[in-house]
Amino acid sequence: MNFLSRKKIGTYLLALIPFVLLTLFFEIIPLVMTILRSFMVEGGTGITLDHYVAIFTKPLYQQAIVNSLIISIASACVGIVIGFFGAKAGNSTDSKTKTWFMTILNMTSNFAGVPLAFSYMIMFGSTGVFVIIGSKLGIDALAHFDLYTVTGLAFIYIYFQIPLATLLLFPAFEGIRKEWIDSVKLLGGSMWEFWKSVGIPVLTPAILGTMSVLFANALAAYATAYALLQNNFSLLPIRITEQFVGDIVQRPAFGSALAVVMMLLMVLAVLLQNYMVKKQGGRNQ
Amino acid sequence: MTEKPNSKPIILLICFYLILPILMTFIYSICMEWRDILPHGLTFRYYIEIFTDMEFLIAIVRTIIISVVPVVICTVTVLLAMYVILLYLPGLDKYMQILTMIPYSIQGVILSIGVLSLYANAPMPLSNRFVMLTGTYCIIILPYIYRGIKNCMTTINAKNLIESAQILGASKAYAFFSIIIPNILSGIKVSLMLSMAIIFGDFVVVNIIGGNYYQTVQIYLYRALFRSGQLSSAIIVVLFLITMALSAGVYAYKKPHHDQEEI
Repeated sequence: MNFLSRKKIGTYLLALIPFVLLTLFFEIIPLVMTILRSFMVEGGTGITLDHYVAIFTKPLYQQAIVNSLIISIASACVGIVIGFFGAKAGNSTDSKTKTWFMTILNMTSNFAGVPLAFSYMIMFGSTGVFVIIGSKLGIDALAHFDLYTVTGLAFIYIYFQIPLATLLLFPAFEGIRKEWIDSVKLLGGSMWEFWKSVGIPVLTPAILGTMSVLFANALAAYATAYALLQNNFSLLPIRITEQFVGDIVQRPAFGSALAVVMMLLMVLAVLLQNYMVKKQGGRNQ
Repeated sequence: MTEKPNSKPIILLICFYLILPILMTFIYSICMEWRDILPHGLTFRYYIEIFTDMEFLIAIVRTIIISVVPVVICTVTVLLAMYVILLYLPGLDKYMQILTMIPYSIQGVILSIGVLSLYANAPMPLSNRFVMLTGTYCIIILPYIYRGIKNCMTTINAKNLIESAQILGASKAYAFFSIIIPNILSGIKVSLMLSMAIIFGDFVVVNIIGGNYYQTVQIYLYRALFRSGQLSSAIIVVLFLITMALSAGVYAYKKPHHDQEEI
């Protein structure tokens, strides 16, 4: 009996082995090693905090962090505003239009990375179609638009934030009941007052949650910027990868420290979101 | 409630904004020249060029292989683990949930540099670029595969089904592999195709780990950017159509599944 049950334990645990091996070799060990390596001397064995000091004191890396933050926050903010109105419009229209809208959002959410960067080069690059139109028609803002800047890149990032924000906010708007609007109207309130004191507070958790997804999404985006300017764009993901692959001298320990900084920024975004949702919840009570 | 008059223009505007880059890329790919306000001359020679380029076709085959293999491995792995956790060790479920959520928040860049720097000089099976790519993609799609399988198991109420099968004399393993798995396979097709679409469109992981060793269509496209604009836009249109076919598949499977749920 004892032998039988022991054999049974052995058999079913075998089924767990592939999952354990997969997550161990390709998730846990790589992550733990990245964190450990970030404290190691480059090519040596000692422990050091030099990499972190360098990241926060050298202008090259400070700028990468600042640029990444500006682009992520700006594109997330614009994305959430457009997504808000998009999801609101999508929920108040007939179901056929809504289905079409959702299909287009799903379809365009696949259009990212290298293809997206290239299509913007066609439109707004130095010889882009809209730039040519702008210079022929004398529209300065178009004629002198520079895609290869922080503003230009944020402009491209907004494109992929819109479908994501709208799709993520859709379910939240479905939760807003028509009766609530009727009640506010019955009490003499306007639509503006409804959104100010009922709609927005109800949607706040969803908005903040979506914001942190958009932020993380933009922060980790690599392909678009890389396709546009290769390693010449000072962004966190680009500065990280060039320490491991490419032409410059490889510095895996320093690159790992940069990766840890990026991870911390993502964790920070989630914590901030949780804190604000909690604060909001407390105020509502 | 009466329909708000301002909802349709907003939807139209957003759709126009989102479709514009794709449309422009398509027009660019079929014209001879676009150096003025309007494009000149219609041509399909860029499409002919890519479809007669062996390198492109090989890259497509490579991309299909790398999009399918990790999805199969990851699905089998998660199903086996779920079998143990559902029937024998339910306490481990929360750890499995954490493990499947981590890749969602760390994303491609950090995971790929972690894997690359660890295994680039490791002993043979691990230092093979295809093995590294497969392993990394398995982790990247893990959240979607896990969610898909978990949702299906909840929908069909897997635990009750197994208990009923046991009352009728079936063993746990038999119940899981010949009753539960066939029942959820149709439901997880959506997550499988979504995962394939994610890998198909990936550039980050393959550029860092694959590089010169495993050239997928995304790498092929990236190299084409420096050769010819029209050629690149033709590649983009082809890739977009393939991705759309994948999502259309997701959509087609999603619908009957929802109907089932309603019944």
